[in-house]
Amino acid sequence: MPPRSMWTGSLSFGLVNVPVQVVGATRDHDVRFHMVHRAEEGGTAERVQMQRVAEDGNEVPWSKIGKGWELEDGRMLVLSQKDLDSAAPEKTRTIDIEQFVALSSIDPIMFDHPYWLLPAGEGEGAVRAYTLLLEVMKNAGQVGIGRIVLRNKEQLVALREQDGLLSLTTMKFAEDIRDPQDTGAIPGGEKNEPSAAEVKDAVALIEEMTDDWRPDSFEDRHRQRLLGLIEQKRKQGTIDLPEPEPEPKPQKAPADLMAALEESLAKARGNKKPRTKAREKSEA
Amino acid sequence: MAARSIWNGTLTFGTVAIPIKLFSATENRSISFKEVRESDGSRISHKRVGAESGEEIAYSEIDKGYDTGNGVLVLTKEEIAAADGPRPKVVEIEMFVKGAEIDPVFYDKAYHVGANKGGEHAYRVLLTALEKSGRVGIGRFVLRSREQLIALRPIQGALGLQTMRFADELVAPDEFELPEMKKRPGEKEVTMAGKLVEMLEGEWKPEEHHDTYRDAVMELIEAKADGKTVKAATEKASTGDDLMAALEASLEAVREADGQGAAKPKDASTPKRAPTKKPTGPTKPRSKTKEEGA
Repeated sequence: MPPRSMWTGSLSFGLVNVPVQVVGATRDHDVRFHMVHRAEEGGTAERVQMQRVAEDGNEVPWSKIGKGWELEDGRMLVLSQKDLDSAAPEKTRTIDIEQFVALSSIDPIMFDHPYWLLPAGEGEGAVRAYTLLLEVMKNAGQVGIGRIVLRNKEQLVALREQDGLLSLTTMKFAEDIRDPQDTGAIPGGEKNEPSAAEVKDAVALIEEMTDDWRPDSFEDRHRQRLLGLIEQKRKQGTIDLPEPEPEPKPQKAPADLMAALEESLAKARGNKKPRTKAREKSEA
Repeated sequence: MAARSIWNGTLTFGTVAIPIKLFSATENRSISFKEVRESDGSRISHKRVGAESGEEIAYSEIDKGYDTGNGVLVLTKEEIAAADGPRPKVVEIEMFVKGAEIDPVFYDKAYHVGANKGGEHAYRVLLTALEKSGRVGIGRFVLRSREQLIALRPIQGALGLQTMRFADELVAPDEFELPEMKKRPGEKEVTMAGKLVEMLEGEWKPEEHHDTYRDAVMELIEAKADGKTVKAATEKASTGDDLMAALEASLEAVREADGQGAAKPKDASTPKRAPTKKPTGPTKPRSKTKEEGA
């Protein structure tokens, strides 16, 4: 079953407003467990629930939960959903496309969560406006950048044509991306400078190991293993626990990188003989 | 001070092993609230209790239940841990693909990859080779007891690792029942809308976009702390059937805005008329005030 609409409003592009709905573009197939209380011999495990309890020990139902913000003077400010909705008034029901940019200019690290943007309502005008935008986006090969308030949060979004529909992807803000250099672990310096020969061999190895991207060919093995365990337990009543493996020793970087690259390259080429012996780095 | 790594291990491709560490590449800076009781702001804590007994249960006495459809199958945490992947400390690159073949929709959480002791040189060789070849490494590794499909690619001048969504986690367009969309828009409309797109074309400058919502929420908190009330949301009317009129008016508005420079607040994100690449002026902060004008 396709996901349900989670937002309805209009997409505004210049002065054209297109009624649209947002639906999730992902679904998870996670194996779901719930908490149970371990039973005594022969007993049945009791289901366990999470209970929300206030400081006085009383249970608080979800409908009476508010959002608290601790002020500097120690007071707890309580905000309701209505309060929060008012933080972005004119945007809650509209996505404004502010700009069009080339898809290739956006690093995928900026993309967060994907959604589909579908026409809302059956009105001919609405569908026509949607189709128009779809066609124009496809022709232009551009991504529209705009904003939407989804689940209480204003998000930067990218809109584009994808497989005959408009897609909407929430984006991260630049200030939310860390600079890799801040990790202090990105090697620099002349000492680590790769030689031309090393790069050439590494590129050759990469090319040799290159195949087409076939996303269908990758399966969630964690999920399959979990389902396998469940099946085993159901049939046998027990699970054969694997021997705990010793913590693997960290592998060391090869002392002779060129030799390792060439060996790998030879292997990748179908176990042919290495074409050359490892060469001196100075050759570069 | 160097950042704290979240994972240490080895990256392998072919027979080459590179000791690496991983760092989170993103941070969530949105305002997070505490759960409180709405009536008096009393802090909420979570308690695990038996559904029937109502008694509190210690975490150590909790197992996992799986609903088989006709009953509940109980597994211990140790049994579930048996599903962890085989080589817990290795990111194994199994193959490479052309980066352009991967639709960004597959990319999920991002990490920066740093070199661990002894791996510095090989790290640089791999990074340079990836940059040069435009390829992305595909592999698997176990993070927090869950095996992940990952992509290894250059991000901001360093090696980056991104977890990937599996194909069956993506919802396909043909799953939706949509209204008839066969009727193509008129050529004139397409031309005009295309012009409008061109006028709004610009360069992608991520640093120009800020989380204004975070600011707005902070303002709200301050206003409320001072005892002020907040106003309710309004809605925008949707376009009527006259698409052409709306397109014409939009083009007119953008032209006017362009003619008057930055006079019109509607286009605060600096769209440019010329699609050619020319250096733009100093980046100006995104104007916060947006008129309801449209």
